[in-house]
Amino acid sequence: MAELIELRDVKKIYRVGTEDVHALDGITLTFRKNEYLAIMGPSGSGKSTLMNLVGCLDTPTSGSYRFNDKEVKDLSDDELARIRNKEIGFVFQTFNLLPRADAAHNVELPLIYAGVPKVERRRKVQQALEAVGLTERARHRPSELSGGQRQRAAIARALVNEPSVILADEPTGNLDSKTGEEIMQVFETIHSAGNTIILVTHEEYIARHSGRIIRLMDGLVESDVRV
Amino acid sequence: MEVSESLRIAVANLRVHKVRSFLTILGTVIGVMSVIAIVSIIEGMNKYVSERLLEEGSNTFYVDKFGLITDYQAYLDAMKRKDLTMEDARALERLSEYIPVVGSMSQSRSNVRYRSREVSSVEVRGVDEGYQAANAIEVEYGRFLTREDVLRRRPVIVLGTDVRDKLFPGRDPLGKEVRVGRYTFRIVGVAERKGSLLGMSQDSNVMMPLTAFQKAYGSRTPVMLVAKARDQESLQMAQDEARSILRARRKVPFSKPDDFAIMSAETFMEMYKSFTSTAYLVTVGIAALSLVVGGIVIMNIMIVSVTERTKEIGIRKAVGARRADIMFQFLIESLILSGSGGLIGVLVGVGIAVLVSHVTPLPAAVRAWAVGTGLLVALGVGGFFGIYPAARAAKLDPIVALRYE
Repeated sequence: MAELIELRDVKKIYRVGTEDVHALDGITLTFRKNEYLAIMGPSGSGKSTLMNLVGCLDTPTSGSYRFNDKEVKDLSDDELARIRNKEIGFVFQTFNLLPRADAAHNVELPLIYAGVPKVERRRKVQQALEAVGLTERARHRPSELSGGQRQRAAIARALVNEPSVILADEPTGNLDSKTGEEIMQVFETIHSAGNTIILVTHEEYIARHSGRIIRLMDGLVESDVRV
Repeated sequence: MEVSESLRIAVANLRVHKVRSFLTILGTVIGVMSVIAIVSIIEGMNKYVSERLLEEGSNTFYVDKFGLITDYQAYLDAMKRKDLTMEDARALERLSEYIPVVGSMSQSRSNVRYRSREVSSVEVRGVDEGYQAANAIEVEYGRFLTREDVLRRRPVIVLGTDVRDKLFPGRDPLGKEVRVGRYTFRIVGVAERKGSLLGMSQDSNVMMPLTAFQKAYGSRTPVMLVAKARDQESLQMAQDEARSILRARRKVPFSKPDDFAIMSAETFMEMYKSFTSTAYLVTVGIAALSLVVGGIVIMNIMIVSVTERTKEIGIRKAVGARRADIMFQFLIESLILSGSGGLIGVLVGVGIAVLVSHVTPLPAAVRAWAVGTGLLVALGVGGFFGIYPAARAAKLDPIVALRYE
């Protein structure tokens, strides 16, 4: 089976003032289709940097990152945008919904940039909202939604273009534990429907939902365990 | 991404900041408005003037010793020239093939009095018998001045309707005697009303025999010849004829320029156009200035808008917006700003032009090309000054943008 994501000796070095910060110091990892894995580690361990790289928001300083057998380093800005649009669904800790658009329009956004015709857009938005149980609140703006509902809208947005992988960066970080648990149930359902999920968290009980836990420390893989 | 979607986003965003959007486009509004208003008024005047000049008779031309004087030295030089005379007029009629009729005219200003009534500063014209035909003057009642009147220097006078109305309200002026300056004239006729030109009445005058005029005002008052060509086609040939006849009569050597000037409606039109083209230039300058300022305001506000919406740009990029999508979105926004500024400017400008033409004698003609140019230039300003902010938005790093609070 082909690897979906393949990282080889990936390094990311930031220059802060006169000092080089090695956010990632040589990461080699492969993720397969339909995996559900969690990336853990203390703050500063490079979780978010790794997430941004995998999500094609950023490119590595050195090393090779192949996504669906394509070398990301060689891709143009527009091709990266296309991958973010079609292959990757982001779920953020702070939801990152457009405040002035209602839930349905937020979910529709990736479809608009994908150039999907209007009628089909409406159908897909409907489906995605159904999948996360937010059909009732489709016409409400983020400010009129609870934290859990906002994250559901964000998950629907991540799902709507049927991406190869869903990247969730601390998706429960801004939610109380009961709502967090509900959101994890949503991920559970999505995963069993055949989606690949990569989750960043620093909470053990959240990580336990996944089938593989990767721990980072100082920009290196500390452990990689299947559970 | 679809254009309709970009439009929707842009309009939605501009509606959130109504007051700001309005203030942003004010410069553009004022720029376009002044262009439309002033161009409409100038064009209206052009149309009006050229129509009126044609109405005067486009086959009429004028000869005097001055021409269109533009400076004092030229005036002094022209004053030294020999005067034109009634005899010149008769010679033109006799010798030319294309000029059937020529009138002579000299003018001054005086108060005209009838008993206790007085009209001050009336245009007094001394004319000969050719003047009526050359100038297409109709007589409302009574008669016009004749050759006999001129030869015998009769103290008779024809009134313009304005003077008649003021001196003889509701009464018959024929046969009455009026005082013009120190002399007494008997009224023999009233000329038909000509109406007003650019708000100035053309009927506030009186006409008397040129000989009587010269007695009253001195024989050195310059005489102007009014000649009428046979028809429009022969106007140029008639002018050439007049030139050579007059040069011969005035003994102008072959190598010297004319010591008189021939002017036609075209000459006046050209002079008029050269006036208004200056006004055009000034207008365009002012408008260009206010459009540049307006464009800078738009650019400034768009930069603010990009900064405010950094997070939004990050979100859009994260879900797959390409640089071009972001660029387009912000460019559309500045185009809508400047375009609506242009539109409002056109409407207000047309409004001003119509208002001016209603409350003043100045006519107005709104030109499609002016409206089109106004809108296009406004859009061009929005496009030009929108590029930098839009490019800035498009270039934002998605990670940095997402972290922006």
